Amino acid sequence: MQLLIFAAYFALVFGIGWYSLQATSNEEDYWIAGGKLGWAVGGATLAATHTSAGTFIGTIGIIHTVGWSFGWLVLSIPFAYWFVAAVLAPRFTRERELTLPAFIGRRYYSKAARSVAAVIVLVATVVFIQAQVVAGGLVANIVFGLPTTTGMVLFTVVLILYTIVGGMIAVAYTDFLQLIVMFIGAAVSLPLALRHLDGLGNMLAYAEAMNPVTFTWQGLPGPLLFTMGLAFMLGSVATPEKVIRLYAMKDMKTIRRGILFAIIIVTVVNLIVMLLAVGGMVFFPQLPTGDLAMPVIARTVLPTFIGGLMLAAITSAMMSTVDSLLIVAGSALSEDIYQTLFDPDASHERRLWIARIGIGVVGVAPLILLLSGVGEGELVQLIVLLFTALMASSFFMPVVGGVLWQGATREGAIAAMIGGVVACGLWEVYGSSIIDPVVPGFLVSAVLFFAVSLVTPRPPREALTPYFDEVSARGDRSTIDVTQG
Amino acid sequence: MSMILERGFIFWGLFLVSAATIVGYWLWMRYEEDGG
Repeated sequence: MQLLIFAAYFALVFGIGWYSLQATSNEEDYWIAGGKLGWAVGGATLAATHTSAGTFIGTIGIIHTVGWSFGWLVLSIPFAYWFVAAVLAPRFTRERELTLPAFIGRRYYSKAARSVAAVIVLVATVVFIQAQVVAGGLVANIVFGLPTTTGMVLFTVVLILYTIVGGMIAVAYTDFLQLIVMFIGAAVSLPLALRHLDGLGNMLAYAEAMNPVTFTWQGLPGPLLFTMGLAFMLGSVATPEKVIRLYAMKDMKTIRRGILFAIIIVTVVNLIVMLLAVGGMVFFPQLPTGDLAMPVIARTVLPTFIGGLMLAAITSAMMSTVDSLLIVAGSALSEDIYQTLFDPDASHERRLWIARIGIGVVGVAPLILLLSGVGEGELVQLIVLLFTALMASSFFMPVVGGVLWQGATREGAIAAMIGGVVACGLWEVYGSSIIDPVVPGFLVSAVLFFAVSLVTPRPPREALTPYFDEVSARGDRSTIDVTQG
Repeated sequence: MSMILERGFIFWGLFLVSAATIVGYWLWMRYEEDGG
């Protein structure tokens, strides 16, 4: 039965991939769905990308271990998105690009800045996809009894296939479908789980009896909770797979509505999932890893059909995030690195082929790393947090600072990206574990961004006109292609 | 008593604050669309 649900679900996903191939006629279609998404699909793809294995496996895993206080991190999401809708998007989307590094290249009039951004995107994506592949292996193991490794391979193959075929249109519409599955899966599971536990009040009481820190602030050290929230917030603003969705939506009105839709969905799904996590603590207080809680509940507590739906929901959550990252990584390889540095005159067909190969390479790399033992055994949510911290440390300042401050220079942006990533990485390895690495990463990035920008030559007017009214009002619009500098 | 309060706040508070944030965003959006 559960197999059937999975088969039907995958058939639909491939159908969408095939349909999208027909609808894709140029690169703009492939990378940003032609910039034509409405608020429902646009908001849904944002929400589905946000809701990853980090939510369905990771959040449940971590609440299982440290209690409800972790849930407060969910608040960082609406605030971050609000900031995007009110401050970032109106300026950021004035010039529609195909990739985040392309924005960096235009705003900072530099191929070097664009390439640095593309390399960071590529490396971080591999780390993040690893987390999702681990979770995919877990689900396959629970549902089909497959060895985790086989599950990881299958999961990767399915994903790479439909992303390569259909590009962003496929990803956005699959995300929409996946979001519906996720929502139904979570919403139907909750009342059933509650009934098993004789209602909400009893569930909370049981959970507290099992683990006294469940409803206190003691489960996680305060500074860690706060700084993790900061990582989520900064990361939700400036991660490439999210900002690229701003280009995919039609206009500002669509973006504002899409973001409201995304905020509602993400918040509700998170709250339901966290309640299920508390249920998981009661059902299965002792698990080898908290990450197993949700798949085990789906398999043993819920009726077969709902359990299958829930597992499809978990898979959806992972796939909708990884496909988006594959798109981002593929575009970084073909548009930002290959075309910009090696072959500016590459034909349209050739670039799409490079992109598809790029997506394949980036999709397979995490699997190879995992199979050779790198990154195995980490709690999924912790890998997700590391990715978010890396993205926030490198891109928040160049993206947000770039559209708010005219003084930001090419040199400042490059220093901020590299310095942020290095500081974040070093802290992860050598730093204190009660402060999230986003703090040192972001601080180093911000200091370098301002300090280097102040001592280097001011940016040329051409780089600023698209983003600042004052500059474009002052002089005639230039037609010089500033990305060639 | 304080334990019950803490538990109530840490659990229900999250739902309340989340709902308030969504309403806040919606009001802001209306304000923007009416031309500020």
